[in-house]
Amino acid sequence: MNVRVFILEERCKGCGICIEVCQPRVLELSEKVNAHGRRVPRVVHPDKCLVCGLCEMLCPDFAIWATMEGDEVVP
Amino acid sequence: MGKIHESEFREGRSHPSDSFLRPEMFPTVWCPGCGIGTALYGFLEAGRDAEIPVDRLRVVTGIGCTGPIAGSLALKTHGVGGRSPVRFAIDLKARHPELTIGVFLNNADLMLSGAEGLKEAGRRKLPLTVIVVNNFVLSVSRNGAFPMTPYRRRSRDGRFELPFNIPDMACAYGAAYVARWTPLREGWMKESMADSFSVSPGFSLIEVISPCLLYDANGGRILDSIDRMKYYNDHSEIRFGAATANLDLRRRKTIILGVFRDRSRKRGEERP
Repeated sequence: MNVRVFILEERCKGCGICIEVCQPRVLELSEKVNAHGRRVPRVVHPDKCLVCGLCEMLCPDFAIWATMEGDEVVP
Repeated sequence: MGKIHESEFREGRSHPSDSFLRPEMFPTVWCPGCGIGTALYGFLEAGRDAEIPVDRLRVVTGIGCTGPIAGSLALKTHGVGGRSPVRFAIDLKARHPELTIGVFLNNADLMLSGAEGLKEAGRRKLPLTVIVVNNFVLSVSRNGAFPMTPYRRRSRDGRFELPFNIPDMACAYGAAYVARWTPLREGWMKESMADSFSVSPGFSLIEVISPCLLYDANGGRILDSIDRMKYYNDHSEIRFGAATANLDLRRRKTIILGVFRDRSRKRGEERP
């Protein structure tokens, strides 16, 4: 099972909702600042991610999502 | 607007919802921690779940904080100023019955300037989805009192208001589907929006109780927006089919969430 968490950093406003709602604590606030002057989240434990989709659902800027190999939609 | 291929979000190039969005408009103009973007995600996801074609999904917005929704979507959108967005959506639905229309309003659009639209929507019995983002504050006037100012909050010159009971008012106007959620109950909110697309006749009203940073900046007790979102979540309880007369936010410690009226199901039928 190969889980990947993606963050589009230039869309992020650094509100921290994704960090708050993630129960396995996959994310943390990094020192990196994007073009809008906001500190963006960083993936620290990608192996702990459960692909629950909470960060994707609650992100107001459509900036974060997680995928898992094997759940592709078969056309 | 093209539909994005699945490989694009699998390889991290674009978000799964990007086929609905205009990426050049991001990040959005809302404050960090606002619930409007979350409500927008729920609406788009509900449209995808209900398998509504993209060219049949329309969004009508009013003025104020929910207005930029129209700018950030690649759907056909209508930003209405100076008249009630609900009334505009009624005309649109009457002219094009095949469309699925979502009306995004803030509380001032519904209760202050466009208050007659809901009454007209109840009378015409057209299937509209009205989503009200209630953040208790009229952002343009900062400290002013207005119809949704909470009980015991005073404006700068000492005035106060008694807040309206939006679900009860919608029921009185003949809504077919009335629900209320907070942004952290995003899964429920999404299900409600997907359900409301198929309710007919009559309009659907979904109230989203959202935190506002401007509310807190002026002497509020809870300073962080995410703390406020959690506060709404912790001080709320879900009661399906609760009597709408008791749903006001005046003196109660808990916010009652749930689906209060659902005309698509028969009496006594269980939720799936």
